Amino acid sequence: MPGIDECLLEAMALPGARGASLVDWTSGLALGTAGDSPVGDHETTAAETAELARSAAEFDSFVAEGETPSDGPPVEDLIVTTRAGYHVLRFVETSFDSSVFLHLWLDRDTGNLALARIRLKDLAERLVLG
Amino acid sequence: MTAVATPVSPMLVRLAAEKATGALLRDHGTLYLVDGRVVHAESPAAPGVDVLLTTGGRLPREGWDEAVDRAGAHRAVGRFLVDSGRLHDGELEICHLGAVFDAAFFALSPTSGPTRFRYGVGHWFGTVRPVSAEAVERETVRRRELLDAVWPYASVDSAPVVPRPAAPGQTVGARQRALLAAADGERTPAELARLLGRPAFHTLLDVRRLAAAGLVETPQEPEPEPGPVPPPQPLLAAPQVADPDIALLRRLRDALEAHL
Repeated sequence: MPGIDECLLEAMALPGARGASLVDWTSGLALGTAGDSPVGDHETTAAETAELARSAAEFDSFVAEGETPSDGPPVEDLIVTTRAGYHVLRFVETSFDSSVFLHLWLDRDTGNLALARIRLKDLAERLVLG
Repeated sequence: MTAVATPVSPMLVRLAAEKATGALLRDHGTLYLVDGRVVHAESPAAPGVDVLLTTGGRLPREGWDEAVDRAGAHRAVGRFLVDSGRLHDGELEICHLGAVFDAAFFALSPTSGPTRFRYGVGHWFGTVRPVSAEAVERETVRRRELLDAVWPYASVDSAPVVPRPAAPGQTVGARQRALLAAADGERTPAELARLLGRPAFHTLLDVRRLAAAGLVETPQEPEPEPGPVPPPQPLLAAPQVADPDIALLRRLRDALEAHL
């Protein structure tokens, strides 16, 4: 696979998908975006979700026993449910030093959270492993 | 959403509008444009793609050198890395975009020096994922504001990083732990970035976060600004603060006021 745009387009093909982006959680930079942002501005959404992802990635409580920092972020994904939608943040593991995650925003009525979570894991792996 | 009110480089705005191709040379780095879009950036302050990829062992140094040898003349090193199976598309894009925004941040830093544009000049790395000049400008401004929102003391950006003991119960994330472990009291944030194979801005931001948390020393004296000579000191200049307790109290006061 393909690069960032193809990956985001595949994410947008999921049922109920409203917006998708690839975000760097150290800086809050959106490396790529597709669809809409919940606040009408992908850059704002990227900065906000990056703060959430950074907290989760750095809290000791989420580190499994026996894991070391070199294993990458201890968290696989974050799910935020709201009255109107779902947000799935999937950490992307690269073999060089990076801090990126995929963010998928789903409509609450038409989205399928379980399916989205599985597909996002697959997309995050194919994005860097081909 | 919001346009940049005061452009960081009026020349970049103009070149983007005229869809120029070439290299924009500034004091702290160079931006490469194709049809008005930013395709590459370099700065002595920011580790290049080669450092980011080889430091963590993702790519052996020889693999990089061979790619430059074979594809540099065609300005297609990035493409070659993918086509020869050394990297995947996604990895290349993530790494290269990170490096471009990183170098652009430093290249577009305020300067009094000349800005020149060489039409037609390209970079040997080649085009990976062009970014609009407006997006690069906007991100650069956002990054400046982010640094100051985290800890408004630019003196930590260029000074050697000196760790301080953590307070009882204070924890720090894995990435910042690695940064602190590499901080030997002499290395600057830029040197730590190179050593760890991380973008320089990310390291600056982490150092400011650590300084705000009290885990890294904040030097009292700001580094002298390069460029214009500062105006002469007024007769009633504020007294030089030598007592570290007073400096600490001032920092506390400033930090509290910033959060009011």
